Amino acid sequence: MQIRVKCNCGEGNCPEWAIVELQGTVEAQPAVQDRLQNLQIGLLCRPSSQEVYTLTVGYHELTGSKVPLKKPLLVLKKTKHSESDNQIGDASSSSRVELHVIGIIRHRILFKTRPKALISKSEPAVKERSRTPGSVASN
Amino acid sequence: MEQPRPGRRGAEAVLNLQPSSSISIAYHPLFGPHDDLILLELDEKLVPDVLQQRITLRGQPDEDAVLCTGSKTYAVKFVGTSNSVLLIPPSDQSEFCEDSLDCDGKDDGERGVVSVIKVAPGSMELVEVAPRLDKLKLLLSVSPYRFGEEIEMEDLEETEKSNRGLYKWDDLVQEVQASDDELRSGLQALSAVEIGSYWRIVDEKYMDTILRMLLHNSVLNDWSLDALNEDEVVGVLESDGFPQKLARHCLDVYGSKVDESVGSHVWRLDERRVCVHFAREILKEGKKKTESFMAEWLQKIPEGMRASFDMLEGEILTERFGVETWVRPFSVSSLPSSPAERFSILFRERPKWEWKDLQPYIRDLNVPGLSSEGLLLKYTRRTQPTMDAEPVLSAR
Repeated sequence: MQIRVKCNCGEGNCPEWAIVELQGTVEAQPAVQDRLQNLQIGLLCRPSSQEVYTLTVGYHELTGSKVPLKKPLLVLKKTKHSESDNQIGDASSSSRVELHVIGIIRHRILFKTRPKALISKSEPAVKERSRTPGSVASN
Repeated sequence: MEQPRPGRRGAEAVLNLQPSSSISIAYHPLFGPHDDLILLELDEKLVPDVLQQRITLRGQPDEDAVLCTGSKTYAVKFVGTSNSVLLIPPSDQSEFCEDSLDCDGKDDGERGVVSVIKVAPGSMELVEVAPRLDKLKLLLSVSPYRFGEEIEMEDLEETEKSNRGLYKWDDLVQEVQASDDELRSGLQALSAVEIGSYWRIVDEKYMDTILRMLLHNSVLNDWSLDALNEDEVVGVLESDGFPQKLARHCLDVYGSKVDESVGSHVWRLDERRVCVHFAREILKEGKKKTESFMAEWLQKIPEGMRASFDMLEGEILTERFGVETWVRPFSVSSLPSSPAERFSILFRERPKWEWKDLQPYIRDLNVPGLSSEGLLLKYTRRTQPTMDAEPVLSAR
């Protein structure tokens, strides 16, 4: 079968998405782990005019920078049409898959250092856990 | 579509974060695994192909999908990451405009919140690969075009044709993992021809008949094999009972236009292709003693053409038994195009090869990013008993 990758963006007009990338995993308190929607992860801060950023997650502060990706990433959305709403006499496939380009990513803000502990007053909603060498992050 | 509410912002707020400012990062109201969102890494030079919708994914459910541009084929590989890749859509992404009230009651309003829709487990990456054309040959070989078929075909319904293993271009594109350009050159390499919008390989015996008839007519009509007038040749062959399409195809397979410019109708038969054709015909039954093969071959080829043994590189193998030598058909075109399978068959055929014998059987292998030396290093072992001896290649 053939799936044509569709794109409605037009020439050079793809909406740009962003990536914030950090090492290890972000883990929520067990109490809220299964309803993450709307939960604040942290505060992204750009202290100076340089492309240096900090991300404060609970008691921890990460320092990172904005880096262009070597190759862009496309954001594709896969949709399935079942044959029932699309009567084509094609007996071999029960569903048709479509791929749409819905965005492109050219930059990420990358935090690759270990977190620095902050002395903080407030109880964090989430904490960031960095992986120690040799261990496996588990959720 | 709902307008994004004030305070909730998207990727642009992250990418254009001003100095001395900050923004809150939160999980999106619709945060989830979103398995339908896929990240695909690709070269900047392929981006225009994407924007102009020239990219397709091809393959059957049981095959690994490939991505095709107009001219190239790429394998698609998932590369996972252990980092947390927080994916942030732009604020105007209609798919993720939430319609519930669940982000009210936050106090980040003054500096805004950007939302993470999913944590990407990795991305798809592309690796250029050779087109997978062996399947094309397999498909077209099921039902080659045979003599007399044009009469028979007229009575068949469309559906019967597709059940008989006949393929239109659009069917091939669904079946074969190759870009359009590569598929076209694959069809050409197989000497396939489009007859009634179906791509066909013509039965060898039928091609042999047309070629003989063409040569026969050239003697009768005193045509020069270096300057065949297309209309005249096709006209005569048609009156001999061959369809126009097949007569033209015969010129195309065994000849080339004298002048490449459009509108030229003069063809020259290709000495090598014609001679190889007759060699194949002779060896159809199996191996022959070299002398008797040569005698028969020289006698069969048309007047004015000169056969030479070099023409048969990649077509026959010569074997020595004591004082006798024998030739036997072994055509490179019958071998698979994946290097691993190709070398495995070659070394099953002969455990040891001299370079000059092996070269015709591997020179067409095409592996992007791997030179022919690289191929040899990967699949063969080279031994040279003495400094002045021919190096010998064996399986690794």
